[in-house]
Amino acid sequence: MAAETSAPPGNSRSGVGRALLDPVFLAALAIILVLPFATGLNSTSSLALSLTFTMILVLLALAWDFSSGMTGYLNFGLPFFFGVGALTAGFLSWHGDRFVPFLLFAGFATGIFGGFLFSVPTLRLRGPYFSLLSFLLPLIGADFVAAYWVQLHWPTEGFYGLPFLAATYGGMLLLLSLTSAVVLVVFFILRNLHFGLVLRGIRDDEDALLSQGISTFPYKVVAFTISSGVVGFAGACYAMVYTFSGIDAFGFEFILFPILIVLIGGTGELVGTILAGLVVGLIYETFFPIFSDLTLILFVVAAMVLILFVPHGLVQPLRRFIQFMKTEEPV
Amino acid sequence: MSLLDVTHVTRSFGGNRALDDVSLEMSVDALAIVGPNGAGKTTLLNAIAGVHHPNKGSIRFRGINVTHLPPWRIARLGMVKTYQVVRPFRTLTVEENLRLFAKLRGGADIDRILVATGLAHVRGVYSGVLPFGLLKRLELAKALAASPDLLLLDEPIGGLSRAEAEGLIASLVALKAGGTRMVVVEHRLGEILPVVDRVVALDRGRVIFDGSRDYFFENAAVREAYLGRADA
Repeated sequence: MAAETSAPPGNSRSGVGRALLDPVFLAALAIILVLPFATGLNSTSSLALSLTFTMILVLLALAWDFSSGMTGYLNFGLPFFFGVGALTAGFLSWHGDRFVPFLLFAGFATGIFGGFLFSVPTLRLRGPYFSLLSFLLPLIGADFVAAYWVQLHWPTEGFYGLPFLAATYGGMLLLLSLTSAVVLVVFFILRNLHFGLVLRGIRDDEDALLSQGISTFPYKVVAFTISSGVVGFAGACYAMVYTFSGIDAFGFEFILFPILIVLIGGTGELVGTILAGLVVGLIYETFFPIFSDLTLILFVVAAMVLILFVPHGLVQPLRRFIQFMKTEEPV
Repeated sequence: MSLLDVTHVTRSFGGNRALDDVSLEMSVDALAIVGPNGAGKTTLLNAIAGVHHPNKGSIRFRGINVTHLPPWRIARLGMVKTYQVVRPFRTLTVEENLRLFAKLRGGADIDRILVATGLAHVRGVYSGVLPFGLLKRLELAKALAASPDLLLLDEPIGGLSRAEAEGLIASLVALKAGGTRMVVVEHRLGEILPVVDRVVALDRGRVIFDGSRDYFFENAAVREAYLGRADA
C-alpha cells in the first residue's frame, strides 16, 4: 500500500493553527461533542451507558497513543494506573469524601504521581525491557491489593457505594465526551508543537535525536506522566459510573481495547482513536451479550486482518479520500 | 587554541584496535579524514561525536574536554554529526525534521537552510518517501539546523551519482565560504579534496599523513596504503 507522501494540514508549515483545521480532527471533535446530545442529556438508556463506557476506552486509547503510539515505547501498564485511579476514588469515597470533582482530581493526581514514579527508572530502558517491566506493573498492583486488602481493613469485595459521576447516563456521557474533547485538543496541539515532534522522532530514530543534541529522556517522562494522569482520571470515572471499584480495575481488557483502538485508528494519529474507539466500543457492547468472552477473540482477529491490509490505520486512507474529493485532477 | 584537539586517542572493539594513538588538531576551515576501508575513519568521527568513547586519550572542543560526554551534550556544545547511512525521521516532513533541532542553539533559519541544501521544494513532504539523493541532503540540513560550530560529515557523497555529488559538494563549498567549519570523512577523494584545506589519512587505525591536500598524493605512505607496495 502506498504511504501518504505529503503532509496533511495537521503537519503543515504554519504549525498548530493549521493543524487544528485538519478536517479529520474537526470531524472527530464534532462527533464526540454531538454524541451526548444525540442520546439525550437525561437519557438513562443502555445505549448511553454503552457510549459512556466507550468514552472511557477512548480516553485510555488517547492516553496510550499519546505516550506509546507517538514514541514507540510499548507500555502495557495502563491497567495499573487505571486501577490506581479507580481505587483512589473508591478509597476516598469510603472515607467520606464524596465530592465528585475532588475524586476525579484525586484519580488524576495519583495517576500523575504513579506515572512519574514508574517512568523515571523504567524509561532508561528501551524496547522489550521497558515493555516487560510495564507488563508486570498491573500484575504487581493486583497482587498487592489482593495480598493486603484484608490487612488494610478494606471492604472484602471492593469499595461500594461511590457517588454517581452524574445523575443520568446522558450526563455521564456528556462529562466524558467533554473530557475526551479537551484531552484530544490538548494532545493534538502538543503533537504539533516541538514536544510532539520529539516524541514522534523518538519512534523513528531515538539515537539520531541524541546525536544531534536532543536529550530524549525528559520528553519521554513528561509524556508518560501526563498519559498516566489521564488514565488515572479515567479510572476514577469508571469507578463512579459503576459506583464500585475493586481489583477488576487492573484487568487486561483496559490495555487490550486501547491498543486495538489505536491500531485500528492509526498509531500516533490521536484523532483515529475517536473514530476507532466508537466502532470498537459499540461493536463490543453489541456482540458481548451474544458471544461473551469470544468477542475478545473476534476483536483480535479483526485487528490482525486490519494490520495486514490497512497497516497505517483508518485515518490515513480517510485523509487520502478527503484529499481525493477535494482535488479536481486525478491524484 | 584550535577548535578541535584529538590527542593520543585509542579505541578498541574486543581485540581489534580500530584507532591507535591518533592525534590531530583542527586549525583550518575544512579537514578531510580519509583512508581505505577499515582504516578507522568513521570510528574516529564517532569518537569525536561521543558515539563511541575512546579507551585512551582525550578530545577537546573549543578547549572543553568532551572525551566522555554523551552525544547530545557534545551536539549542544556545537559539534554536530551526520550519518553515513542516512537516518531521517521518516514520519516527519522535511521541515519538521529541521524544526526538531532549530531552537537548540539560538534558532536557525529553516527557510535559508532549506534553500541552501536544495530542499525547499519538498519541505512539506514526508522524509520517508524521499529519494536517496534528497535524503543525503536532508542529513546535511538536519545538522545545519542545529547551528553547529563544527560539522562532522560522515561520507556526505557516499552512494550518490556524480551529478548528485556535484550538487552536494557545491552546497558544501558555499557553506564553507559562509563560515561553516567542517570535518569530512569520505572515500571519494577526487571529488571531496577541492572542498578541504587539509587532509588526515588513516590506515589500520594510525595516522599516516597529516598535511595540505596539495601534497597528499605525493606521500609515499599514502600511495602504499591505497595502491600497495611497488615491490609487492
